Amino acid sequence: MSKSMVHIENLVKRYGNLTALNHLELDIREGEIFGLLGPNGSGKTTAISCLLSLLKYDRGEVKIFGEEMKPDSYKIKEQIGIVLQNVAVFDELTVLENIDYFCGLYIRDKKRRKELVEDAIEFTGLEDFRKMYPKKLSGGLLRRLNIACGIAHKPRLIIMDEPTVAVDPQSRNKILEGIQTLNQQGSTIIYTSHYMEEVEQICTRIAIMDHGRVIAQGTKEELKQMIKTGETVTVEAIVLEEKNLQDIRTLEHVFDVRYEKQVLTVRCTDAKHNLIRLLNYLQSQDISFGRVFSELPTLNDVFLEITGKQLRD
Amino acid sequence: MLHLLKYSFLSKIRNFNIVFWPLVFPLVLGTFFYFAFGNINEADFQTVPVAVVKEDTADTFFLTYLEQVGESNPDLLKREEMSEKEALEALQDKKVEGIYYVGKEPSLTVAGTGIEESILQTVLDSCENTRTTITNIMKKNPEMDIETITNLLSADSLVKEVSLGGRTIDGNVQFFYALIAMACLYGCFIGFGSAIGIQANITPLAARRCVTPTHKLKLILTDQLTSFALGYVDVIILLLYLRYVLKLDFQGQMGKMLVISFFGSLIGVSMGMFVGSFGKMQEGAKIGIILGISMVSSFLAGLMNGNMKDIVEKSFPFVNRINPASLISDAFYCINVYDDMTRYYRNLITLAVMCVVLVLASFFMVRRERYDSI
Repeated sequence: MSKSMVHIENLVKRYGNLTALNHLELDIREGEIFGLLGPNGSGKTTAISCLLSLLKYDRGEVKIFGEEMKPDSYKIKEQIGIVLQNVAVFDELTVLENIDYFCGLYIRDKKRRKELVEDAIEFTGLEDFRKMYPKKLSGGLLRRLNIACGIAHKPRLIIMDEPTVAVDPQSRNKILEGIQTLNQQGSTIIYTSHYMEEVEQICTRIAIMDHGRVIAQGTKEELKQMIKTGETVTVEAIVLEEKNLQDIRTLEHVFDVRYEKQVLTVRCTDAKHNLIRLLNYLQSQDISFGRVFSELPTLNDVFLEITGKQLRD
Repeated sequence: MLHLLKYSFLSKIRNFNIVFWPLVFPLVLGTFFYFAFGNINEADFQTVPVAVVKEDTADTFFLTYLEQVGESNPDLLKREEMSEKEALEALQDKKVEGIYYVGKEPSLTVAGTGIEESILQTVLDSCENTRTTITNIMKKNPEMDIETITNLLSADSLVKEVSLGGRTIDGNVQFFYALIAMACLYGCFIGFGSAIGIQANITPLAARRCVTPTHKLKLILTDQLTSFALGYVDVIILLLYLRYVLKLDFQGQMGKMLVISFFGSLIGVSMGMFVGSFGKMQEGAKIGIILGISMVSSFLAGLMNGNMKDIVEKSFPFVNRINPASLISDAFYCINVYDDMTRYYRNLITLAVMCVVLVLASFFMVRRERYDSI
């Protein structure tokens, strides 16, 4: 079993009466891309801030690389890279200078730093922008600069707090590919996001957070197995009566039926021929319909089943 | 350390607020001051030509008075006796600025309004005041003769003009002292930037810097060092510009002026650091506070009204003892006018003490490493 990189135990953080972290427990192992998924306000950023010893917490323990993390744990900090939710660079320094500045806070050797800075520029595709100031960069490039500043020193552990917020799809894909490459190069990554597709795409293990605690944890397959939903069938432009809905509810493996604005959503347990059974019924009743989709469960379904609300609520 | 200093310096000199307010703005304002009144005392003073028209019942007292004025201030008036017709023609042709009609009661006729006309009127008024004074004295002291009374009234016999410390001063230079004080205080913009750039609960950039393995104390010290250096360089540039480009009449030693500028820039930067470190207020609100403090301090030190410092000194002297702008401008006075080194050092020590208090207070506020909220 791989080594524990981050261990959070019984972490409690309160802001007055609001409990931001409610006995949070996490264990992140070496080589993982660990996803912290949860809606806005679920406590992801607070957890990261406590993990980095920026925030005081009421109770609990945070260990990184097996050692307690404190504000003056400089040996630990040397091996961490951080990419914050908000772009955190100097507006007055160029792309090259920004990366060099942050890399220089970790690496003293000038020659080595120069190499690392060039690697980071190449890695984030900022070669043509090295002399530009951040204000001249597009949103996507700015995010890439933000990432370059956080990873230039080739850290063992990289913490990325929603690094793709407000980024165009093309830049987002490039960022996600980059994260996977960093992981392949040996970095363990903690990735927080409220975009379930991103987390599903890149994370090897996922913790779903809500109200400051982890409500489910595992690989995406493990998480999906935790829930009843095996398949969700959606039928558009369909006119149904109450009797039809009752009939559909009685179909084999169907456990949830919703009908709103002429759209039928049928959730079934993991079984074969769910779609065919539904279509056969509609044909037998001579009911016409529009487009039909069949989807495998998503992390949103996991979140929905556990909390009763949508991840994007 | 050099790495930190290099980028701290670069990020500051490329920041608009840090370059404009403490450096460009005072230079521009200084230039405006210079063109507005910097050279007023150097302007060529023109002797005022005046026609004197003697009437049959000429007032000999006024004629004597005019003669005395001519003796004591030969460049003030250029008198010429004329007939009324000649005088009017001369006035029309602007050969004279006015006509004194010396009859039973002397009077003045002018063709316009201006400084020359005002001088002529002042001479006339002054004569009338003297006449009234002499009449009053003679009523109370009938035994005194007119010569004795005239000697008594002659200010020259009782008052001797001397310049303090052997130096003279152009009254308008006080505006420039207040301007230098303002420039020193505007160093607060530099200190302010340093303070907010190190508090993880204020900016994401600060948060990122705080999670690096570089000791926070190192980050704070390098930022403070570059801020003080930059603030000082800004004031030196202004001082050199005023003295060597605008050629203002600063008579004190440059070395002593540089010392004042050093303490002045220290207090400005420290003030900015203190306000920047204080609480979790919005950045805009904090900028408003530092701008307000700088402007009020400079106003009270005489930036907008030359008499303000004296007014404050009469009514609330304590304010002048703690107002950094007043302390700075007063220190300049001490070496340029009063030659009072005790007061000069007192001002500098007060500034230094205030600076130490502010820097320590801000240091204790920003050195925090964990926050209650971010």
